[in-house]
Amino acid sequence: MPPRFNLCTAQKVISAFRQPPLASPRKLAIHPRFRAAQSTTPLQKRWNSSRNDAEDLPERPKGPSEDPLPDVSEEAAEIDRIMNKEKRCDGQPASPELEQGTPVSEILSRDKEAMKHMPKVMQDQVKKNGGSRSFSTSARSRLPDVQETNAAREDPSIAMVASMIGQATEQAPGLEAERHSGLKFDYPVSPANTKTLNFRKRYDTLQEQFTKMIMEDGKLSRAQKVMASILDQLRTSPAPQVNARRRLLGAPPAPQLPLDPVLYLTLIVDSVAPLFRIRQQKGLTGGGTAVQIPHPLTLRQRRRSAIKWIIDASDKRRDTHVAQRIANELLAVAEGRSGVWERRDQQHKLGIAGRANLGLAPRRR
Amino acid sequence: MVPSACWNCVLRPRAAATRALLPPSSSAPRVASAPFHSSAAQYAQPAKKKANTQTMMKHRQSMSIRRKKKKPVDRVRPPPVGERKALKKRIVLSNPNALEIEGMADLSAETMSNPSLRGTIMGLPVDKLDQLRAVEAFKPKQSWSLFRRPSTVFRRSTYEMGRLIDQITGDVEGAQQGKVVKKIVTGPKGSGKTVHLLQAMTMAFIKKWVVITVPDARELVSGDTAYSPIEGTNPTQYVQPNATSTLLSRVVKANQDVLAGLRISQQHPALKGLKPGSTLADLAKLGLQDAAVAWPVFQALWTELNATKAAPGVKDEFQPRPPMLVTLDGLAHWMGESVYRAADYTTIHSHDLVFVNHFLSLLTQGQTLGNGGLVLYATSTSNSPSNYSLEVGLDQLAARQEGVKPSSPEYPQPESYSDADPRVMDLFQASMSKDGLLELQTLSGLTRDETRSYVTYFARSGLLREVVNDQLVGEKWSLSGGGVIGELEKVLRRPQLSRPQVATATA
Repeated sequence: MPPRFNLCTAQKVISAFRQPPLASPRKLAIHPRFRAAQSTTPLQKRWNSSRNDAEDLPERPKGPSEDPLPDVSEEAAEIDRIMNKEKRCDGQPASPELEQGTPVSEILSRDKEAMKHMPKVMQDQVKKNGGSRSFSTSARSRLPDVQETNAAREDPSIAMVASMIGQATEQAPGLEAERHSGLKFDYPVSPANTKTLNFRKRYDTLQEQFTKMIMEDGKLSRAQKVMASILDQLRTSPAPQVNARRRLLGAPPAPQLPLDPVLYLTLIVDSVAPLFRIRQQKGLTGGGTAVQIPHPLTLRQRRRSAIKWIIDASDKRRDTHVAQRIANELLAVAEGRSGVWERRDQQHKLGIAGRANLGLAPRRR
Repeated sequence: MVPSACWNCVLRPRAAATRALLPPSSSAPRVASAPFHSSAAQYAQPAKKKANTQTMMKHRQSMSIRRKKKKPVDRVRPPPVGERKALKKRIVLSNPNALEIEGMADLSAETMSNPSLRGTIMGLPVDKLDQLRAVEAFKPKQSWSLFRRPSTVFRRSTYEMGRLIDQITGDVEGAQQGKVVKKIVTGPKGSGKTVHLLQAMTMAFIKKWVVITVPDARELVSGDTAYSPIEGTNPTQYVQPNATSTLLSRVVKANQDVLAGLRISQQHPALKGLKPGSTLADLAKLGLQDAAVAWPVFQALWTELNATKAAPGVKDEFQPRPPMLVTLDGLAHWMGESVYRAADYTTIHSHDLVFVNHFLSLLTQGQTLGNGGLVLYATSTSNSPSNYSLEVGLDQLAARQEGVKPSSPEYPQPESYSDADPRVMDLFQASMSKDGLLELQTLSGLTRDETRSYVTYFARSGLLREVVNDQLVGEKWSLSGGGVIGELEKVLRRPQLSRPQVATATA
């Protein structure tokens, strides 16, 4: 059997969004047309459960005298919805076929011409049809709604359309208000970084990394003082005279830099950070000679090597205080005067030369 | 490989081989010479030592390779003498990178008592900065170097002080004209005591008062400057000539204009070098040239500044003297023993130093300044010895201000056996008479409005990149312990972490 491709997944999703807020989540993915037919048997029912009967009422089978059809006004509203509100892009009222979706297999069974031009994947599947499947489809679930939701969950197109609609509903406050009706306060918004929300951070990531590399003998508080002093000096020293050959990556105009010392520091470090380190691999060519192989670094590793270079270079300066030495070195980097830039260039040159050796390196998992 | 000798040869010892196995007849090298001469043997090269070191090893000698240790080379020369201290004491008053704030009012004669400007940030007048530097009003740890130009919060206390200075000068009608107001300024750490003094000095300079300051009380009692006993005093008093000379230089530098406009009106027989008709600036400069006469010069200057009329016998017309502002920072250092030693090696009480005693006597009752003025002594919390007597004294002062009578049981007294300093207790007793009451001014945190303007000041200077709203102001106010301005400055100065972004909707 060819797979059932739904042409109008969007319609399904829309219908899911249109549900009144109190509808059970199970029902969401089901089209209204089928809603009366299903739910003849409740999904799960515990005999000793404490659910009250009033809730169960709509789920019991309906007798012949009970009218399954909606009343006149509801029907009129439904027709109005179909004719006026749910129009296609070209303004025509939506046809039931479009609205409810037609399985591709049905279209194909009607149209022999289409069968010839159908996608290769489907053609392959039709060809394979005679053989045995790797999975069984004989057992059909008696719970169509669960089946539906699973389908909706698995079909990426549905999820995508749902997300598009979700974005669209932001602009429709009425719908949002309908979903959140009855709340006393604003609907709580979940923050983006839920996992790290409990982390209490005082310093910027790079600032912290730099501070800890300044630290000696485990004296963090002293290192923090030094870092504060460095940032103050970045703040008060005149704006850097940018060397055209050695610009800071993605930096705002130079006069703006001193006012945001942490950004300044980040740009300086990131601009001289090497992209890779050079690994000396022995025994690839035989004879005991080492082969230089470039090895990519993560962001943190790149920054680490840049900071190390900067601190090493600052040790050779003659200023009185550590903070002054490091700050002066940082300013030298910002102006392109520092030897750290040469160090980085050297590293990259070696790396480019060592690209040829990448093939020799054993593959790592 | 076939051996060169056959088995038979190996098994049977040959004559040559036996000879080789026998020990040599002599260890000396064989030299072809006549047997009775020893010179050849003497001139021969000494025998080479064998290369095998195993035999040469001494007992229990280590076998590992010995490497010479490298001496650590000191790369960096130590900085020149005094450079570190100069760096520590350096005061930078401007940051050219910070943004200029447009429309910021300056502290001036008009604005210093303007109630509508309360809670705003006001710049210090640029033409007074040199004078303020001369009296050491700025301290190195204050963050003047962050901003474009020095400015302070015009707090409620500042406004009240401005009004008081106006009244003492006589610009505003009031009973205070020509009076002396004495205050001790206290408050928690970072509450702005030193900046309060700075604001007082600025206002005094604006009003053309004479400003005399002691920027650090510790220097007088910590044994840093020379001291010598004054003969004929009982108990012995001590004079500190160099410290007095420094004080005179501060006074002259800061008040040059005022002092140069006033002429001598009293007789000074002790000062031989003083010409009649010279100005007060000339008088003060005598003490700069010779530290030995610094103290008599200071006394003479003090009499001149407090004179209300000319002494008989002085021809010049008497010019009225301006009011005076006397400030001191770090009062606690002067409330106990100093580290100086007397001749019998007992410690000298700080009240026995005439310099200290002179300034402390201004707190006692009466019109201690002849032409009126303000005496502002601040305690310090960043560098202060713990001083029980001072604590009790300040408590008494506070109780007195609240109306508790000294006879009542609630009046704070030093605890028994607490060893409170009687001289300090006497000083506070003497300063709490009915007229010319010593006041206690306690500074605390900023109000919300003042905090808001301070936070806005940071934002407008480009140092804070956040929207200033009630939430931010409230947060910073709470973080700084209720608007304690020093803490607030620390909180705002720290680079702000970007706040966690709140997700807009379903991602």
